[in-house]
Amino acid sequence: MPELRARLFSPARDTLWGAFAALILALLISFVAIAASGRDAATGFADLLSGAFGGPGPLGETAIKSAVLVLTGLSVTVAFTVGLFNIGAEGQLIWGALAAAVIGQRALPGAMALSLLGAAVAGAGWGLLAGWLKVRRGVHEVISTILLNWIAIHLVHGWLVAGPLAAAGSGAMVSIAGTEPVSASAWLPRLFAGSRLDLGFPLALAVAAAVWFLLTRTVRGFEWRAVGAGRDAARASGIPSSRCICEGMALSGALAGMAGALLILGTEHKYPGVFRTGYGFDGIAVALVGGGTALGTTAAAVVFGALRAGATRLQLVGVHPSFAELTQGLAVLLVAAPRIFQPLLARLRGRPSAAASAPPVPTVQP
Amino acid sequence: MSLILDFAPPLVFAALGGVLSERAGVVNIGLEGMMRFGAFAAAAGAIFSGSPWVGVACGALAGAAAAGVHALLSLRFRADQVVSGIALNLVALGLVTYLLQAVFGSAGVSPPSPALSRDRFGHSALTYAALAVPVLFHLWLAHTPAGLRVRAIGEHPRAAATLGIRVLPLRALCVAGSGVLAGIGGATLSVGIVGQFDARMPAGQGFMALAAMVFGKWTPLGAAAAAFFFAAADALQRQLSFSLRAADLRLEGIFLALPYALTLLVLASGVGRTRAPAADGVPYEPEGR
Repeated sequence: MPELRARLFSPARDTLWGAFAALILALLISFVAIAASGRDAATGFADLLSGAFGGPGPLGETAIKSAVLVLTGLSVTVAFTVGLFNIGAEGQLIWGALAAAVIGQRALPGAMALSLLGAAVAGAGWGLLAGWLKVRRGVHEVISTILLNWIAIHLVHGWLVAGPLAAAGSGAMVSIAGTEPVSASAWLPRLFAGSRLDLGFPLALAVAAAVWFLLTRTVRGFEWRAVGAGRDAARASGIPSSRCICEGMALSGALAGMAGALLILGTEHKYPGVFRTGYGFDGIAVALVGGGTALGTTAAAVVFGALRAGATRLQLVGVHPSFAELTQGLAVLLVAAPRIFQPLLARLRGRPSAAASAPPVPTVQP
Repeated sequence: MSLILDFAPPLVFAALGGVLSERAGVVNIGLEGMMRFGAFAAAAGAIFSGSPWVGVACGALAGAAAAGVHALLSLRFRADQVVSGIALNLVALGLVTYLLQAVFGSAGVSPPSPALSRDRFGHSALTYAALAVPVLFHLWLAHTPAGLRVRAIGEHPRAAATLGIRVLPLRALCVAGSGVLAGIGGATLSVGIVGQFDARMPAGQGFMALAAMVFGKWTPLGAAAAAFFFAAADALQRQLSFSLRAADLRLEGIFLALPYALTLLVLASGVGRTRAPAADGVPYEPEGR
């Protein structure tokens, strides 16, 4: 069946197989590490699976974590599409979460929708700032978004949530109590008894479908991709590249902001005093393993969501949940260098490999 | 003043690491991860050997090893340099926490490690090194043939190659050197300042060093000056939170955010517009392959 084999492993699928191989290899390395430290890797693996998929409870945890990762991953992917590397999803997520918490406190009609909208707007603003700095002031987005992350973290955690927005009566010292709780009318409704699965996961999937449609089936999406592929060429053919970059960064920020809203409205129910998410940074990993497409990003988010949910069970065999971060990092490391798997893919293809294909990861324009 | 000299060295070393790598044409977002490996290895090395200097050496080696991965991916396998650096940070985050748990049985902090001895002003030798190394680095980069070669492969690698410079090996060497510096920066944090490893280290210092490098226009002296400026802002903020009443502590976040906001403003205002080395981040493909 050489034709089938050639089609299955055609160079167009290199990204997919590369990501797949990277995930498997990353898991393999992680479990070798566990076995090497003298723990029961086989039991650990079973625990990991049952923690991610074993019954409605674990499935709900996987869905909750996946939903947030889908949105932050899409945030990074949309920025990739216009050729920008958005390291700032974390900061955008924080502003979105804060907006959701503040709006959700008021028992307004349609509180949930308003909170989500407010979170999207807040995140979009922070993302747009990086886009504006890029096109108007020439500040590289990697640097500006790193700085904007720290500004958001310190302003929100060190000042707003500890001071002006802190819950009343939480004492004179720096508050660790967080903001006033979100009114129950703004909570994301739980879908099943016995599971924390809420409206967030279907919502995230719907957003992913919308982003896929926007990027691949609309004129605007085509313009964005053109700008991402080559800004000067796009401008030469009449596409307003600066506007596209600003729009892309605004949408990128809006998606990260909505991810923050899911955390607040779904599980935290207030802006907590201690809020270390890391979901924004994980979004980078999700987008990279997802190959910079909406579908791939969604799939990668579900895999990493399951890994995160399952890793909490690994504590049973004495493995710290940072195991999930380790596996995730390794997967990105392996995906980062598509040439590692070229020889393997060429062999699977069953005929001599053509010239190494272009790297599937969108390159960052200087 | 004393606080500044305490806070600056980790930033100075890491920022110099960034300068070395990027002047040779390799973007290094992985400074944060290299510092993390360095800080952990330094604490572990110091604890097991009983000597803080062995710890610092371990930190430098660990930084170099992490940088080796970055070099392998970005130079040998032509990975996108930003992506490779980010991946390194992610691995450092997970792997070091994992190692901390596996080696010391705690995911929070390591046991106290032997700390570097301090003179009567309260400074360790690394503090003084942080003052001297930028000057030496500047002299080396600006006034020696080796420094010229490094600058050449960062500005125009093809031209450098025609003059017989082997671009990729030299770039790899510079990335490794960058890891050594970042690793020492991390070691300064753990065995130099705190006297133990904390799972949160380096808490964004690597990214701050990156900002210092850009702020300092990719020059050793500029980057070091920027690092000292950031340390000063940090020290000022701590002084203020000492002298303010407890109720005003809530304003702490504003002071903490200031250095970052200031850097962003300076970059955005275009005062003394900065320019990265011409070939920074551009993969180099040797001809005839």
